[in-house]
Amino acid sequence: MAFVPKVQAFSAHINAVTLGTGDNSIVLGGGNTLPFYTFDAPTENAPKVGIEVSDLGLENFQAPGFKEFYAGCNTMAEMAKKAETVEGASFIALSFEGADPNGHNKSVEECVAQAKEVAAVVTKPLVVMGCKNAEKDAALLGALAEALQGKNALFMSATEEDYKSISASVAMAYSQKVGAESAVDINLAKQLNVLINQMGVPAGSVVMNVGSAGAGYGFEYVSSTLDRVKAAALAQNDNMLQMPIITPISTETWGLKESIMPESEMPEWGPAEERGIEMEITTAAACLAGGSDAVILAHPASIAAVTKMINALV
Amino acid sequence: MAVKGLDIFKLSPKTNCKECGSPTCMAFCMKVAQGAISIDKCPHMSAEAIALLSEATAPPMKSLEVGAGDNVHKLGGETVLFRHEKTLVSKNLFAVPVCTGMDDATVDAKLADMAKIDYERIGERMTVEFVYVNYGGEGADKYVALVKKAAAANRALILNCADADVAKAALAECKDGKPILVGANKDNWEAMNAVATEAGVVLGVTGASLEEMHDVLAALEGAGNKNLVADVTGADAKETFKNAVLLRRSALKDGDRTCGYPSIVNLAKVAKGDLHLQTALASVFTIKYGSIIVMETMTYAEALPLYGLRQNVYTDPQKPMKVAPGIYPINGATPDDPCMMTVDFALTYFLVSGEIERSKVPINLIITDASGMSVLTAWAAGKFSSSTIQKDFDAMDIAGKINNRTLVIPGKVAVMKGEIADKLPEWNVVVGTREAVEIVKFLKDGEHIKAAEAVAAAKPKDGAKKVEEVKEDAPIDFSKLVYPEIKVVPQEVTYKGHNPESKKFVTIGERIHCISPVIREAMATFNPEPILKRAAEQIAAGATYLDVNIGPAESNGPELMTWAVRLLQENFNNVPLALDTANKKAIEAGIAVYNRSNGKPIVNSADAGSRISYIDLAAANDAIVIALCSADGIAKDNEERMTHCHHMLDRGMSLGMEADDLWFDPLFLVVKGMQDKQMDVLNAIKLFSDEGLKSTGGLSNNSNGAPKNVRPIMDSALVAMCMMQGLTSAIVNPCDLRLMETIKSCDIFKNHELYSDSYLEI
Repeated sequence: MAFVPKVQAFSAHINAVTLGTGDNSIVLGGGNTLPFYTFDAPTENAPKVGIEVSDLGLENFQAPGFKEFYAGCNTMAEMAKKAETVEGASFIALSFEGADPNGHNKSVEECVAQAKEVAAVVTKPLVVMGCKNAEKDAALLGALAEALQGKNALFMSATEEDYKSISASVAMAYSQKVGAESAVDINLAKQLNVLINQMGVPAGSVVMNVGSAGAGYGFEYVSSTLDRVKAAALAQNDNMLQMPIITPISTETWGLKESIMPESEMPEWGPAEERGIEMEITTAAACLAGGSDAVILAHPASIAAVTKMINALV
Repeated sequence: MAVKGLDIFKLSPKTNCKECGSPTCMAFCMKVAQGAISIDKCPHMSAEAIALLSEATAPPMKSLEVGAGDNVHKLGGETVLFRHEKTLVSKNLFAVPVCTGMDDATVDAKLADMAKIDYERIGERMTVEFVYVNYGGEGADKYVALVKKAAAANRALILNCADADVAKAALAECKDGKPILVGANKDNWEAMNAVATEAGVVLGVTGASLEEMHDVLAALEGAGNKNLVADVTGADAKETFKNAVLLRRSALKDGDRTCGYPSIVNLAKVAKGDLHLQTALASVFTIKYGSIIVMETMTYAEALPLYGLRQNVYTDPQKPMKVAPGIYPINGATPDDPCMMTVDFALTYFLVSGEIERSKVPINLIITDASGMSVLTAWAAGKFSSSTIQKDFDAMDIAGKINNRTLVIPGKVAVMKGEIADKLPEWNVVVGTREAVEIVKFLKDGEHIKAAEAVAAAKPKDGAKKVEEVKEDAPIDFSKLVYPEIKVVPQEVTYKGHNPESKKFVTIGERIHCISPVIREAMATFNPEPILKRAAEQIAAGATYLDVNIGPAESNGPELMTWAVRLLQENFNNVPLALDTANKKAIEAGIAVYNRSNGKPIVNSADAGSRISYIDLAAANDAIVIALCSADGIAKDNEERMTHCHHMLDRGMSLGMEADDLWFDPLFLVVKGMQDKQMDVLNAIKLFSDEGLKSTGGLSNNSNGAPKNVRPIMDSALVAMCMMQGLTSAIVNPCDLRLMETIKSCDIFKNHELYSDSYLEI
């Protein structure tokens, strides 16, 4: 008897969320299969890869390859312009970690000025990442959302603590997209989406960051959370989990021991940069295989490899 | 072959006739499943049931063992598609290829590079498990020579050779190493099957499409060979992924057993020359269904993240993540720097070590073996006590490896300070912070050093005082138990009495527990008021039994338990009690003064693992025992729960206990996190009940972490469902009115209490 594998597309879909405007806009989500299950149904929108550009320049990206790539760039805007040229990078993720009150404590105004400069020179969609301090982010993301009006950007992240003010400003006042961030827990992810929805933000304006971890650093929680979110969204048609998922990778991997331990201390490990790239690739690919609809990376070589992988599988 | 006991049970006569020698049909079927007894011992099992059995219970995916000696590897045996559904059992393995087309120097270099990957990560040795030996058609001599060279690399082998004669010659050299022979296809499968079968090795199937592979697999199965793998590598990455997913999914979800074989994916083929792309794809195939992944190279840059990923994904979600006990120097700590200590629960470790790192203060973090529990839970269970700490300190030779004598213990177990100081007299024991977030400030301010100096200064000059060693098996000398006089004071509530024969649901009040700071303090100072207050509240709310958890109580367990038992029983009309501690002497002492007029004492608790001897303790003291159906972590399914159940039942009954005195605890699980396992727990209760066994458990665990207003609703709904399934008791907070009213109402429906309009008030 001939073998005929069963096709198992779902009737439920992941929400399709558009970022950016015009020719360069991208769509996250929209599919009704598990990631890369093209044999169940064609992939609606291939997963997207974004490139991180930090307001701290290369402070957290010390590998020579970064310096070489961004040689001659002196401002965030120049870096973003350069980043836009990386093949495969379909959006730019601006990180304002310098605003952290426990770090550089840059003012909201300073960040807004930088963001405006960037917006003036780039054409690809923007994702804005705050500084992870709930109080500062509430003010910062609101101000950035105002400054980037009309860009249809995604603002990360609204958390349990600051979702009210961020939803109100980002989504409702300035019609941008909200990133709902929860810490690797499907129940919290759903709860946050419910709360944001109850604020009056339509489900189609929300993208989830359900948490991340470097490969080897508790990634099993990430993996199972992604599996369960996709199962709930597609098999159970749970519309409070049908938001597409975006996963920051670079912020998780470039500080890990494997990525930064100098070769001089671990000669058999070989050059640190190569390890950092492979760690970033491995983590990103695992997230995409689990169900991330977009990942944010930093190294041009990682972006090239992950893009190639996506193209090979869809 | 793992046949499921519960599946056998479905086909059994279910008459509990005992003719087979087992107390119940279920017990018999469990033993059959374990291979402890032959199925024909049951005179009533029908022939067709036996025939059905082999078909119905064959596992969906074949388990294979390949390699020999140090290189034995397990493949397959998966039962689920996603790890959260149960667990993944066979981690994916890695291979690097050599080829007859390569010159000797290249082969040597490849094998030498491969051998460099050999390191340990959290207790697991990481190597490239296989050399993948490609035959390019240059003749048997060349291939045999290459195979010999590869075999000398001390890794398991995969021979990729579709020429049966050449394969035969190669196998003659290496078959004792149990390699995998890949290359059976639609044209040569009969010849290849003969070669593989003769050599006793696993055979790998290839094909131009999955459909073609399926035909070959079916043909080989028809010829009686089930030692198979499928090389699902297609023309490109996309087809390979499709093949890997469909093979696994068809086997596990759609029940096609011909698909139930491990897979090989050859990335050196579909992403030739692009090492970064190979890493990306290896990561994908680690997540989704590659059993063996062939990579062109394996450098540390590739291995570190891929092996880390694999180690994460293949952890059992039912088992707590543990870190290995040991000394973890942080911020460049040397043996001259102070020590902090905590438990081996991975989340605790990551939290504490992260905060220490942030403080930038050099600290030696000492991790002790606490069975992967958090600090307070481990302490309450006796897994993190002065004796376990002393044992670990000796086993790891901490005093020999560390020169500094400052030891910071978690603030949550400040009560252990004295006991630890007694057991480790040369150390200056300091109480640290209660929460990890306070560590940075604590260390930056040098609190640990100041406190250690104060401890050192206060020590007697004549050296450490000797602690009197108490032998573990020495009988209790009751005349030596010293505790404050029991004062019986008039109480506002009276315990109404309990008839052990009653079928009514038994509630065990959980509020006298040393995890509560108020009770911990009261126990430390023998202060009766807080304990009596909580007892009165629970009795007023209708609790049948009261649980008395005194913590590990290593230094004064017998005194403390004797005091607590007498205090509660003398003040409350001999209220029946569950004695709850990791100190067995304390339980024994408590039972010695226990008044049984309202029911036997309960020993809380035994399990099928390290606490199995609590059953012996209950048997020796004619007590009831709560028997947790777990051994090491939560049981992964009801099969395992019932195996533990019968193991404990057998033990209790062989010691002369009544089955009714073993109360089986399925272990209630948290909805937030283990929602998909709730029905398993409910079904386990039904299984206990079907065998006439009693059951209990910490039911309110289900709603842990849920909002306060939601918890009583969840607990009440669950208790109703549990009582429907036959739960006979639960360890609960009786002050939860909604829960208690639900229980009373269910007792009405179960006809255990005659209805009256005022049934809620009695």
